[in-house]
Amino acid sequence: MKMISFSQFLFMNSTAIITATVQHLYLALGSELIGCLIAIPLGIWLTSRKKLADYFLAVTGTIQTIPSLALLGFVLPLFGIGPLPAMIVLVLYSLLPILRNTYTGITGVNPSYIEAGTGAGMNSRQLLWMVKLPLALPIIMAGIRISTVYLISWATLAAFIGAGGLGDLIITGIQTADANFIIAGTIPTAFLAIGAGWMLGKVEMVLTPREGLIVSDEGR
Amino acid sequence: MVIFKAVSKHYNGHIAVKNLNLNVKEGEFVTLIGPSGCGKTTTLKMVNRLVEPTEGDILINGRNIRDTDPVALRRQIGYVIQQIGLFPHMTVEENITVVPTLLEWPATKRRARGHELLDMAGMDPVIYANRYPSELSGGQQQRIGVLRALAADPPLILMDEPFGALDPISREVLQDELKSLQKRLHKTIIFVTHDMDEALKLADRVVVMREGEVIQEATPEELLRKPADDFVASFVGKSRRNDSKLLIVEQVMQPNPVTVLPSVGLAQCLTLMKRKRVDTVLVVDEEGVLIGGVSIETLDREHQRAYRIGEIADHNLVTVLNSTPAKDAFDLMVGDQLKYLPVVDEHRHLRGLVTRTSMVNAMASVVWGDEND
Amino acid sequence: MYNIWILTVQHLGLTLAGVGLAILIGVPIGYLITGNRWVAQLVMGFTDMMQTIPALALLALLMLWMGLGDTPLVVALLMYSLLPIVRNSYVGIMGIDGALIEAAKGMGMTRWQLLRMVQLPIALPVIMSGVRVATVTAIGIAAIGVLIGAGGLGAPIWRGMQQMNTAMILSGAVPAALLAVASDAGLSKLEQAITPRGFRNIASQNT
Repeated sequence: MKMISFSQFLFMNSTAIITATVQHLYLALGSELIGCLIAIPLGIWLTSRKKLADYFLAVTGTIQTIPSLALLGFVLPLFGIGPLPAMIVLVLYSLLPILRNTYTGITGVNPSYIEAGTGAGMNSRQLLWMVKLPLALPIIMAGIRISTVYLISWATLAAFIGAGGLGDLIITGIQTADANFIIAGTIPTAFLAIGAGWMLGKVEMVLTPREGLIVSDEGR
Repeated sequence: MVIFKAVSKHYNGHIAVKNLNLNVKEGEFVTLIGPSGCGKTTTLKMVNRLVEPTEGDILINGRNIRDTDPVALRRQIGYVIQQIGLFPHMTVEENITVVPTLLEWPATKRRARGHELLDMAGMDPVIYANRYPSELSGGQQQRIGVLRALAADPPLILMDEPFGALDPISREVLQDELKSLQKRLHKTIIFVTHDMDEALKLADRVVVMREGEVIQEATPEELLRKPADDFVASFVGKSRRNDSKLLIVEQVMQPNPVTVLPSVGLAQCLTLMKRKRVDTVLVVDEEGVLIGGVSIETLDREHQRAYRIGEIADHNLVTVLNSTPAKDAFDLMVGDQLKYLPVVDEHRHLRGLVTRTSMVNAMASVVWGDEND
Repeated sequence: MYNIWILTVQHLGLTLAGVGLAILIGVPIGYLITGNRWVAQLVMGFTDMMQTIPALALLALLMLWMGLGDTPLVVALLMYSLLPIVRNSYVGIMGIDGALIEAAKGMGMTRWQLLRMVQLPIALPVIMSGVRVATVTAIGIAAIGVLIGAGGLGAPIWRGMQQMNTAMILSGAVPAALLAVASDAGLSKLEQAITPRGFRNIASQNT
């Protein structure tokens, strides 16, 4: 096989690279979204159930330690190949950081704010939406940021079970010992991960409430 | 024992210590005192070379500390800091014997020394030797901090506000213990503090510093009696007002008592007393020299007989000098059942009046602190 | 069929090699960068960046450079393990109360004694928690090593996936998962065991 220059390679394979990138984002961000929809409400629900919360955190913590290839191996016999089993694995991995940060973020809210909210006549739903969630939001966002960065990196493994994404290019590169494929898969993945981390970091900063806002909210 | 020779310390342009000369004698307890940023801690840390002087020399027992390896030097000098700094992963005994460990004493000797020191501080080794610092109270922790400095029996101990973070009761107890320990063991101690009461209580000699310079260097007694300038006076004064033993009459008297001239008529005087709501007036001449006193009872009794105040004034008043300790004045008033006590200077000029009310006020300021200042 | 016992031992051996090297390199780096805030930021930034490169991509790049086999895998494991170990060594040592360092210096400890008697013992639980994270991650990455011809439990999983052979997949996936979970639990226990009693009291007081 004759090696070609990287620019030539890019020109010839631009469609494949773009398709793989879109697939990659779809896998990672889709899983992240599902992970949020599961873990945030679960984390909120668990704040008043400490024993159960410890149990859930231990279980998601254990899932986190299982090697990704092994986890893919467990879902493959059950769900076959393709995006669905890949996303199941990614969702499982996303759970711990989001769940843990939601739980600790809300349980860590300074009790004096909760007392002030209760004193102002808030019911538990208002207390959650007007006091606890806004104050816990930066911590929850940090969990979302961490899991998003990891998922973008882990989504390369989806290629093992035929779900596509940038991992496809890397595996092709390994199997054909072609540096162009490897680099074409690696660089976008790294940029996506770094970019997502940076953007979500900015969101986190914007969402961090200033003390003054909290005080004025209490009077409403 | 420790001699500072023209020692200065500059931190990129900022002068922390300026041309310091100081001679600490063997067995002496010297406190360095001053407001924060005055250079007292820098001065202390230059002795064990945690800070190196920019200029000048420091001699310990005649030997320039520049010629001693800092590590070896520090092992010969005890060091106690405000934050205590006990090692959380070591037991009390291990903490006390850190320096002996560094000096490679055999284990049995170290152990014996640790127990000896605990005994000396009244902490039963059986109970405390194997505890961890986190299992002790703040006062106990700093007691261990002091014992740790004593472990290798260094002749010189440096203490950097060691009791500053303790509650007032523990502080008092540790100060007493330290003072008796120092007397008994004949240690030379350089002690940094910003608390004048502590300095006066502990020190043989107090060194007052400001902006890197020594303002005054004196025994506590001299410092109280002759503060070098207003800065020292105010620094000492803060502490002095809080101690009834050190108050003088001038500080507790009422400075503007009601006075009349001897030529004033009785009726006029009565009107004045009514208006001022007093039951006694002092009679002074044109120069302000005290002649006597007249009470409302005398006035009432004598108004038939006399016309002018000068005729009925009591010339045999008990008076005190303005520099008399307040305590003596109070003792006099209580002992002789006096209602009031005029205060005069050396030339019998009237300066003020001590009444039972001023006595109560003075005592209140000692007990509850002076809120009127 | 594969001999799972041999593969498990192989897997563990590769992991230990990578993490072991990372400890030997990472702890001294973590200690040395405590001296300079700027260098510390730079090193941490670099190791952070490393972490965003997918393991698969790093393995692929190392394969191009070093060829197939165990060597590129061990290098990859070393690189991934560095971050938690360097970071935790740095944080553990930097987190020590300045008063303790001053007291130690004031009593005449040399730099080496300070490190051995004060800094390392106090930072050890934090460093160990970095080692635990590194080990669990390394066990996961070692499984992917099969793609670049390294040994370990990845082989039956990968082979089984391609042949759609569930039994073969599970014969690798189950021990790999157990290995990771057991290492995590075991190292957690070790972490607790090496935390001195005096320190645990402080920790519990703070929480």
